Amino acid sequence: MKKLMHLLFLSCFKATELIERKFHFKLSAKESLQLKLHKMMCKACTKYEKQSILIEKGISNIENIDIEEHDVEMLKLKISTKLESQK
Amino acid sequence: MYFWVFNTKMGNNDLTNWVNEFTGGLYKWAYYKTSSAETAEDLVQETFLVAAEKFSSFKGDSSPKTWLFAILNHKIIDYYRKKVKMPVGIESGVISNYFDEHGSWQKEKRPNDWQDEENHLLDNNEFQKVLQKCLDALPEQWNMCVKLKYLTKKNSDDICQKLGIAPTNYWQIVHRAKLQLRNCVENKWFKN
Repeated sequence: MKKLMHLLFLSCFKATELIERKFHFKLSAKESLQLKLHKMMCKACTKYEKQSILIEKGISNIENIDIEEHDVEMLKLKISTKLESQK
Repeated sequence: MYFWVFNTKMGNNDLTNWVNEFTGGLYKWAYYKTSSAETAEDLVQETFLVAAEKFSSFKGDSSPKTWLFAILNHKIIDYYRKKVKMPVGIESGVISNYFDEHGSWQKEKRPNDWQDEENHLLDNNEFQKVLQKCLDALPEQWNMCVKLKYLTKKNSDDICQKLGIAPTNYWQIVHRAKLQLRNCVENKWFKN
């Protein structure tokens, strides 16, 4: 029974792979349909997708991390000196 | 001759201003992409050296900021390319951690409910820190694949090509990386 289901509506392994691929590629009509049907029957993968989207957004947010101002000032100085010496 | 001297002089003044204005932003970006302060510093410094060298070819078609970031992104990709000389390994063990032989979730790895305030999480600094930690805990090459997705607006195919990774391989890595990340975030944030 499980095997037949997986054949028709994907395994969770395959479904999560499609979820990841979907972030950047358009899935084929068959793949989208299979994924949709799979999610209707599978709570875990539905949660996975929601959480994966959240993580995706989180990753693109991380670039706003704090950087020590002091380090940046030191670096500016270092680079200016280097550029100066290359004149 | 006079013109040339004049030009160079202008160039250096502009560059000095740019160092003041853009070093912070460039450094932050490089630091985020490489997770190493030392590497980030080197890459930013190299960026300005290239900028000095190529200053005459900067025609002002793009803003200085865009131009400098383009140079830096090249440097970052170069840095990674040197690192991925070896084919990126995909251990089959990872998948069997998460799925059984039929491809169904292993019981203890099945996604649990996260609280409803999911959208507020992104504003939460502590949560971002946990995510950063989980990213850092990934095998280096996986971490790289996940981060490079956001490096440029270019599509993933292009990044694969630059790094010499086959696209299928790339997606397999991203998939595994995401499984591990999700699990790590769930354990570190929601179960604590």
